[in-house]
Amino acid sequence: MAQRVRGENMNLDSKSLSTSATTPWLGVAFRAWSGTRWVETAVSGLDGRALAVAAEALESQLATGRTGGPPPGPAATTVGSFDTAPPRPMRDLGTEGTLARVRELFRWATDDPMIKFVRVGLSWNEEERHYLNTAGANCYQRFDRVRVGVIPVAIENGRSEYDVLQVGSLGGQELLDSLTETRVHQATAMAKALLKSRAPPSGLMNVLLDPGTTGTFAHESFGHGAEADQFVRNRSYLQPLLGKTIAPEFLTLVDDGSIPGAWGSIHFDDEGHPSQRTLLVDHGRFVGALHDRGTAFALGASPTGNTRRSDFLGQAFVRMTNTLIEPGDWNLEELVRETRDGVLLERWESGMEDPLGGQMQLKVRRGHRIENGQLTDLVSAMVLSGGVLQFLRDIRGIAKDENPEIAAGYCGKGYGDLLPVGDGGAYLLSRALVGPS
Amino acid sequence: MSAPSNLAARVADRLRGLAGPWDVFAEHSRRFEIHLSGTRVELTRGPLDLEGFGLRLLRAVEGQTGVGFQASTDFSERGVRTAVEEAETFARFNQFPAKHPELPGGRPSTGDGAKIVDPALWSDPAGALERYGAALLAAFEGRNGVVPSFSSIKATLTEASVANSTGLTYAYAHTAVETEVAVKAFGGPEGRPPGEYWFSDLGRRLDPGPLPTLAADWARFAEDARRAKSPPNGEVPVVLPPDVLAGIVPAVVRFQFGASARLRGLGVVSESQVGAEGLDVFDDGLLDWGVGSSPVDDEGTPQRKRKLISNGRASQLLYDVLHADALGAASSGNGVRTSGFDPGANLWLKFTRRPAPEASTIVIPPGNGGTDAEIVEQVDDGVWVQQIAWAQPDEMGGRFGGEIRIGYRIRHGKLAEPVRGGTVGGGVVTREGTPSLLHDLSVIGSRPKLMGSLSSPTLLVRNLSVSGDDHAPAPP
Repeated sequence: MAQRVRGENMNLDSKSLSTSATTPWLGVAFRAWSGTRWVETAVSGLDGRALAVAAEALESQLATGRTGGPPPGPAATTVGSFDTAPPRPMRDLGTEGTLARVRELFRWATDDPMIKFVRVGLSWNEEERHYLNTAGANCYQRFDRVRVGVIPVAIENGRSEYDVLQVGSLGGQELLDSLTETRVHQATAMAKALLKSRAPPSGLMNVLLDPGTTGTFAHESFGHGAEADQFVRNRSYLQPLLGKTIAPEFLTLVDDGSIPGAWGSIHFDDEGHPSQRTLLVDHGRFVGALHDRGTAFALGASPTGNTRRSDFLGQAFVRMTNTLIEPGDWNLEELVRETRDGVLLERWESGMEDPLGGQMQLKVRRGHRIENGQLTDLVSAMVLSGGVLQFLRDIRGIAKDENPEIAAGYCGKGYGDLLPVGDGGAYLLSRALVGPS
Repeated sequence: MSAPSNLAARVADRLRGLAGPWDVFAEHSRRFEIHLSGTRVELTRGPLDLEGFGLRLLRAVEGQTGVGFQASTDFSERGVRTAVEEAETFARFNQFPAKHPELPGGRPSTGDGAKIVDPALWSDPAGALERYGAALLAAFEGRNGVVPSFSSIKATLTEASVANSTGLTYAYAHTAVETEVAVKAFGGPEGRPPGEYWFSDLGRRLDPGPLPTLAADWARFAEDARRAKSPPNGEVPVVLPPDVLAGIVPAVVRFQFGASARLRGLGVVSESQVGAEGLDVFDDGLLDWGVGSSPVDDEGTPQRKRKLISNGRASQLLYDVLHADALGAASSGNGVRTSGFDPGANLWLKFTRRPAPEASTIVIPPGNGGTDAEIVEQVDDGVWVQQIAWAQPDEMGGRFGGEIRIGYRIRHGKLAEPVRGGTVGGGVVTREGTPSLLHDLSVIGSRPKLMGSLSSPTLLVRNLSVSGDDHAPAPP
């Protein structure tokens, strides 16, 4: 797999402005089957001599180990090319034009004297990946990704609180159009309001997740357990449940790398298999997992287009793309009433998987108390914990998809290999432990 | 071991005639990995070979400094020229409130430096990884119902170098090791779910010596996870070993004591009471085997040890060259090219990033609290937290919170039943007068341990918020 990345980064805060071109990332990863295992080498640049050295290093490892059978699973034979630039690529805006948009976001966020510090970050890149294998696969693809974040910080009596407005997608300048003055002001108003927020309640309670937090649950808590390399290692709490009902009938959960424009979408994975929509939970029944060629062979399944490398230096293994919980038929007011007493968790920050133990951690920036079926006080950052299977069983309702947005995040598997993934969902009501963060 | 290659000097040779100030940081890294699935080698990787440099130009722009930066993997005449052109272009857009930043000059006086190269790993990285993998598996042999289900060991060998327009040039080597081991306990009565302890660490050595002891601990934690109950709910005394503190303290301290935060009106207030009386906290860039240790920082300033908290009060800050100039101070040798996000990426790929104030290894010196058992004896009713899923502290707010992956209830001075699930959280360094981990310390243990970017003994915190439901059945 050969990779090239070019782009720009900009960071503007109350004290400094920093812009630069991204590192012109260029390199190649080689992989071969030794008879018993995959071996890989990689090298930066496309210099012929360096490539030859990397290839020789690979061959020297094969020479000592080639005693087993052929590589497991079906080799991709896909041939295809996706070289379409977005209608309005970021490159066309130029550094000055992009900077003007960054300054505008900054101005909107700083026109309130209570906001003491603001950081606006914008990055865009054009990435090319070219995958070739000995079975004839020849897959070229280009991605244009844009990501923007605005962080207003309010400070009072030594207490600092911030909110985050963050968006990202495949595409170009159109993403910037979605960042309106109103949305920035909502973030600054929230940062200020958080200065008066109370500590969240603590203990086991009804929890209503906002759409972004629902998406984080889909990815971190469920999706990682559905990566089939964990099945092969006997390291997934979900493995024995394949084919069984694990959630209410109204819950459907998918991984879909083929959504046009979504942050985690790809045309082909890094084994040359096309991306696809993979049903993981179908109306409450756990029906599928995410596969590379090796896990598909081991478990009698088919590759699902989920083999991904973070870059040419990262390994190719089973990863998610865009992981989503499909909408239900409640509206938010009904869910709040149904919650009766509990907490609404808003503005996801992160999650952490527990592939074998089936526990979950979700962190959010803020939320609201729900008392007597009404949204009441604003509360500060929270962490949610619980068993995923119990959480699924306790789901009482999912909202309609009134404002669909796939959140742009980065996923590490274990402790590294960060790559772009999308998460999505709708308001979801269940029950879990909550504490301050 | 031969002298490390000085790629920065090679780039500097091509920059003759370029107006200063400028500096170059370069790396040649070779990475090797072994991944085990159970007892089977699933994948070996390496060498992953990467050479690159980051060029920084400092230009006067409207009474401030325009910082132009460009990284590249192309060391050719043309590649270096392109990097200069890009950096010059971007310098014109950029602004930082430094007026006359001074890059370090001459040959840095680094003394003996710290130990940061594992010689056995350097001389035979693939062999060392294979031997370590074998030792890891051997440590679990004969253990009934406990296996490593997944392991990955990644070793990076780097020759780093820095050169600048004042004539400084310096090169050194270092090694880094990322370890991840998932240990599974299973078997026993039908239907009893398996348990896991998922260990990770970032260090500089590949030392199989401690593996038998570590494997015994990991096996116990995995077994105990199977019978763990939910923790209590409320404000309780909490014991935090270095394994947990490493995920909490460095992230908050490096931000709160960074000159970057001070310049922006964030972070700790000078001389404010941020910790318990008697508490000292250091940043030590010369600690043997510290992941942040190196003879010079990434700008060429010699590393040293700095006192950040003195008798509980905020003391020195962490400065790089630019922030030092902006705040009228001298660089403290903390100009680090960090990712700020992926800890493993902080030890290589540095050439892709520009310097910023950053901690090296945070050190909490040992106190007189004794051994872990002696600390526990001082708690009547509390919780020992052995592992948090991901503390992910809020650096700016100075708080942390996370799910307890495995811990123990403390009853009447002894470790009692295991706990799992629920959350623990609170302040780390918060504003004066509010409770926090460093402020409400009641006991500092006597036996320090180096974990990731922290060297600390076990700490007992008077009260932290724990959420749980200890009337609930054990989680599935």
